[in-house]
Amino acid sequence: MIPDWMKEVNAGSCKCSAASHGKKGFVGKTIDGIFGFLEEAFISESFSKRRGLLQSLDPRAKLVSILAVIFATSLISDLRVLIFIYVLTLLFSRLSKIEVGFFIKRVWLFIPVFAGIIAVPMIFNVFLPGDPLYQLAYLGPGAHLGPFSLPESIFITKQGTIAAVIFTMRVATCVSAVVLLFLTTPQQILFKSLRTVGVPKLYVLTLQMTYRYIFLFMELIREMYVAKKARTIKSGGLIDEQKWVGGRIGYTLIRSLSMSEKVHMAMMSRGFNGEVHIMQEFKMKNRDYLAGIVAISASLVLVLISQNVIRV
Amino acid sequence: MHIPDGYLGPYTYTAFWIIMIPLWYYAGKRLSAELKSRQVPLLAMAAAFSFVIMMFNLPIPGGSTGHAVGGAIIAIVIGPWASVIAISVALVLQALMFGDGGITAIAANCFNMAVAMPFCAYYIYKFASGNSIITSSRRVIAAAVAGYISLAFAAALTGFEFGIQPLLHTGANGLPLYMPYPLSVAMPAMILEHVLAFGFVEAIVTALIFSYIQRTDTSILFGDESRANRNKSNEPATT
Repeated sequence: MIPDWMKEVNAGSCKCSAASHGKKGFVGKTIDGIFGFLEEAFISESFSKRRGLLQSLDPRAKLVSILAVIFATSLISDLRVLIFIYVLTLLFSRLSKIEVGFFIKRVWLFIPVFAGIIAVPMIFNVFLPGDPLYQLAYLGPGAHLGPFSLPESIFITKQGTIAAVIFTMRVATCVSAVVLLFLTTPQQILFKSLRTVGVPKLYVLTLQMTYRYIFLFMELIREMYVAKKARTIKSGGLIDEQKWVGGRIGYTLIRSLSMSEKVHMAMMSRGFNGEVHIMQEFKMKNRDYLAGIVAISASLVLVLISQNVIRV
Repeated sequence: MHIPDGYLGPYTYTAFWIIMIPLWYYAGKRLSAELKSRQVPLLAMAAAFSFVIMMFNLPIPGGSTGHAVGGAIIAIVIGPWASVIAISVALVLQALMFGDGGITAIAANCFNMAVAMPFCAYYIYKFASGNSIITSSRRVIAAAVAGYISLAFAAALTGFEFGIQPLLHTGANGLPLYMPYPLSVAMPAMILEHVLAFGFVEAIVTALIFSYIQRTDTSILFGDESRANRNKSNEPATT
């Protein structure tokens, strides 16, 4: 038996990254990226072991519930409803013993990069006409930028701002729901529960194996880059460095395919004949059924709201 | 190029689910027949490779770094149908583990990056390399062109999917509900970005990997005769 104190995981942020000096080159960036990946995986794993509300639910009930909520949220275009669902995800993160601050940071880190690029231009009348909210510049009639003609004055529009906020909130709410799902479910169990939404056994097994071998390959790549870093006194020319990277990717590819042959042999020698069996160790309790029913009915209500059958 | 949730409206993402489910089913059937018990380990390793290829940073002019998507080289090496499953598995993992790409948009993302990109790349490579021998430099160029065009093609598809959103989904007040920009903005934005910048990285990386494989082990390439022979000799005597 493993004593309890050994199973405890410290979920505080641990900066695994090696100390770096000055601007990072491609080697430093790769090593950092790999450490970032491992850190992420360890932290999610540690959250999934806490004794919170969502962790205690049957993974199948949880998966179906969260998927239903995500699909329903994608239909909603009322800002108040979106904010309501978003606040609910925060509440669930609190009940699942995930620090709300960490959760918000985790979700919003994804969003600005891509959604920001799309949402920010929406608020100006250049892209989306509307009633002026705040005038930025007066260009006069006939202004143009390159081949594009610009309106007389540039202002932030009321409609554009609302549309941009709704757009960003919808993305944030959906991302929050997915983040909740994987922070509260150990990966291997999450993949198994995909059987409930009709993913064939063969692909569940493939997903599980892929997940395990990703770590092996990450380690392989980290070693290659660390070894290079250790041997580098002065970096070579651009072409030489690119050739090195190309060669290493090629090596990883050849190695992964030859490894698949060996893994196949190993599986065959242990009795694998292509037929996949997956142990079914889940047990649905009454509260899991209840949770599933509540989430699905709530999603149905959301769909009805989005279709204006129910007015809020 | 990973489309998050909330970018595509329900008509679009449902349409992609309807397209992708039979494609996944067909790919699975086809591979089961071809690979038999080898299917799971081969696809798992290829999926793990498609996942980690984005970790490899390479230096690009101007002191910055870039990485490849890898759809082209994977299609050239394991063939387009196996790529459909391998890249889809990697994309599902990215969506579930990192929120990289949305859940509702999984089918659309898989169509762009796991169907359109590998098929486009594989046929360009096959067409451009003609009957040249496996170690010829013509094939390296063919691989580079395949990487460049297939990435631009996938980007154009993504731009198209974005661009049709204002046509399909507009609220009662005339405001867009999902991606707000029309085709005339979304398509050029996605294409230019990939044609002028990322496409070159993809082309260089695809060519470099391909020439490395030429120098070391050409037997792993899809459709290569020696591979078929090697597989035959390795066939375990259980069936």
